[in-house]
Amino acid sequence: MAEEPLALRGIVKTFGATRALDNANLVLQPGEIHGLIGQNGAGKSTMIKVLAGLCRPDAGTVGIGGTPLPHITPRAVEARGVHIIHQEALLPPSFTVAEALFLGKEPHHGPFLASRRMRKDAERIIAAQFDIAIRGDALIGELSAAERQIVQIIRALLNRPSVLVFDEPTAALVRQEANRLFAIIRRLSGEGTAIVYISHYLEEVRDLCDRVTILRNGRDVATVDSRQTPVAEMVALMINREISDMFPKQQVPRGAPVLSVRSLRQAGNFENVTFSLHAGEILGITGLLGSGAKDVLQALFGLSRVDGGTIEVRGKPVAIPSPGRAVAHRLGLVPEDRRHQGIAPDISVRENVTLASLFKLTRFGLISARRERQQVDGLIARLGIKTPSGETRLRDLSGGNQQKVVLAKWLSAESDVYILDEPTVAVDVAAKVEIYRLLGELAARGAAILILSSDLMELCGICDSILVMYRGRITRRLSPAETTADEILAAATGAPMIGVDPDAERPEAA
Amino acid sequence: MSGEIFNPAETASFAPETRPERASRRRPSSGQTIRLGSLAALVLVFVYFAYAAPGFTALGNLTNIVEQSAVLALLAFGMTAVIVGGGGDVIRGGIDLSLGANLGLCTAVYAVSSAAGYSDSVSVLLTFGAGIAVGALNGLAVVALGILPLLTTLAVMNICAGLELVLTQNTVISSSSPLLAWISSAAWLGLSITSWTFILTAALMLVLVHRTPWGLRLQAVGGHQQAARAAGLRLSLYLVATYMGAGLLAGLASILQAARLSGSSPGSGDILLSVVLTSLMSVVFSRRLAPSIGGTILSVLFIGGLINGFQLLNVSSYWVNGVQGVLILGIVSLRSLSRRPGSV
Repeated sequence: MAEEPLALRGIVKTFGATRALDNANLVLQPGEIHGLIGQNGAGKSTMIKVLAGLCRPDAGTVGIGGTPLPHITPRAVEARGVHIIHQEALLPPSFTVAEALFLGKEPHHGPFLASRRMRKDAERIIAAQFDIAIRGDALIGELSAAERQIVQIIRALLNRPSVLVFDEPTAALVRQEANRLFAIIRRLSGEGTAIVYISHYLEEVRDLCDRVTILRNGRDVATVDSRQTPVAEMVALMINREISDMFPKQQVPRGAPVLSVRSLRQAGNFENVTFSLHAGEILGITGLLGSGAKDVLQALFGLSRVDGGTIEVRGKPVAIPSPGRAVAHRLGLVPEDRRHQGIAPDISVRENVTLASLFKLTRFGLISARRERQQVDGLIARLGIKTPSGETRLRDLSGGNQQKVVLAKWLSAESDVYILDEPTVAVDVAAKVEIYRLLGELAARGAAILILSSDLMELCGICDSILVMYRGRITRRLSPAETTADEILAAATGAPMIGVDPDAERPEAA
Repeated sequence: MSGEIFNPAETASFAPETRPERASRRRPSSGQTIRLGSLAALVLVFVYFAYAAPGFTALGNLTNIVEQSAVLALLAFGMTAVIVGGGGDVIRGGIDLSLGANLGLCTAVYAVSSAAGYSDSVSVLLTFGAGIAVGALNGLAVVALGILPLLTTLAVMNICAGLELVLTQNTVISSSSPLLAWISSAAWLGLSITSWTFILTAALMLVLVHRTPWGLRLQAVGGHQQAARAAGLRLSLYLVATYMGAGLLAGLASILQAARLSGSSPGSGDILLSVVLTSLMSVVFSRRLAPSIGGTILSVLFIGGLINGFQLLNVSSYWVNGVQGVLILGIVSLRSLSRRPGSV
């Protein structure tokens, strides 16, 4: 029997207190297409970083071609023939296709670049490998996402790889382009290249892969034959079934609609998005990377323009061209990237809290220190923010408390529509429960809450209703009482279900 | 989605269909638009001067433009190489603010050395040595200490300006060596030595940056560090080389400067604004919206033509500074606009 082309064994990797990989294994057979799946945070990306040599594991071995690597560095990995097609193409946008392909191994006449030959070679290789015409002197920045990916694959192929790793390759592709990519991957596999295929789209994984390894909480919980394993079973393996009473859900009577969205459309990102959010309601929204859910949130807060559809706030049609307008309509956003977008880490808790409501605290154009302090102290007490004082720098607080300060900022601005983007990412479990309790309280006081999360247990635990987006459309509306995380995940990954058109078109990529 | 997507017949029939679609769906390049617009602006300005300024198009005047632009051009080539290798970001990218002061220092070194009686070859070696040393100082501080080029070269600019004052005591030092006399008097095919230096250096830099594997890799180092690292390049070597090359070009320019001024006189550092402008402006003459030697040549001629045209129109040369400032603002804002996601 031939050597294993790639074998990661017993990989352990901890970041601070969290164990991202906990004795994880990934072993490939020669010539197979091997899927790697798992929920967000299951350890997929850490696994790839370890394999790429970008992150040193605490324990475990990486073997390529049957022998373990003594030092796992990017160079050593590449020298042994493992190439990774990253989600974000690592190509210089101001280079031509030919230059990007041959950078580092340029054809030359003596000391001079053989530009013409380089261009011709590039066009010939692209045509021969993929049967499409891309001009060798086209700039990378002018190519479509699919074309850029093809250039990246060919760049890897020029190095005669023994193992090719695809990290979420179809997230940016439209359907037809994805189909062409699958044909390419099959051909490469037929020619003897071992393939690792990482994707959220389980249907793709089932159709394309020979075997699938499922990661959960940093462990490989199973490696299954994908031909004989139903998608539902893979989903069940991906989901952690430990139900805890983390979710103190309050029942709140539903009030009048506060935010109504009809046929909202943004070219390339989402279309026909219709829903309404009522006072006292917590509405969940979820979807995979590229599903458009995040884009909907950003459009609602005025961070990007929509191309069609209507938004009504408290019954009045409004346009939200900027975050300033959103705040004026009493919308508040808790962004995912807290450190860069949600907080100003180097100023005090007090200043952060009143940042969006200073005009309310001024007298004769000057900030009234007394009223500001009252306001801030009140909110610190009400939200249970653990801080020595209002004057503490925000960077010195824990992640969960920082997130509460972001909420306090919008409370101070008297917002009553809260848009939350992954509010519990990178906060510990105790703080998560605190945030859930807080959201419940806000809703009980009549706030309307739209929460985007990829933590499906969380959505099931705190939401009144959950919207699932797939390829730019809302494909399902589920009630937590009657659904399971399995069902949500299945809907988000496009698994066929009764009542859903599994062939719902992807939006055309812009 | 189901198994039929792998039907080979469908896949085969799919590929040819995409060809016309691809071609028509390619985004119009904003780079191409900006480039054509900039070329049109350049042509318009020259047409205006040809029409309005008496004698602008005379052969003698055109060669004059080339000759007067030579010092600026050499420094700008150095600056462009530094920006190519360090990246185009105005704040964090590559930039060499010490070039103007380096020119002054080198001119002073040459003038003092030849006034002290050293032969031309010794003086030229000392001059080039000073230029390269300043470049090496810049390069090492940027690479080894990891200081932003903007700050490093600002500090080195002050060092150079200080050394120049120490050497010259802030006075005019005249020198009349055989080399300077030859540069001022000799001509070939109607062009002066100064003009030939411009032309030959331009050709050399054009080939080096845009026609050799080294140049391509240099562009990768500045334009896309991750891609360059992935291609196994050693970034720091390229960076140090560009700063040292820029220093050498400052040394070469200083000889021309000494010939023009018959020695050294204070105030050479004032050229810095024009150097920064021409290198930044080179970006708008390139389809890639990246700094280029070809774009630098056009920018130098544009600025040279502008100054010359103003002189012929009897417009005060003080206006030139203002116009340059406006051009820098315009170009920098054009670039930040075209980089904003979702625009053009």
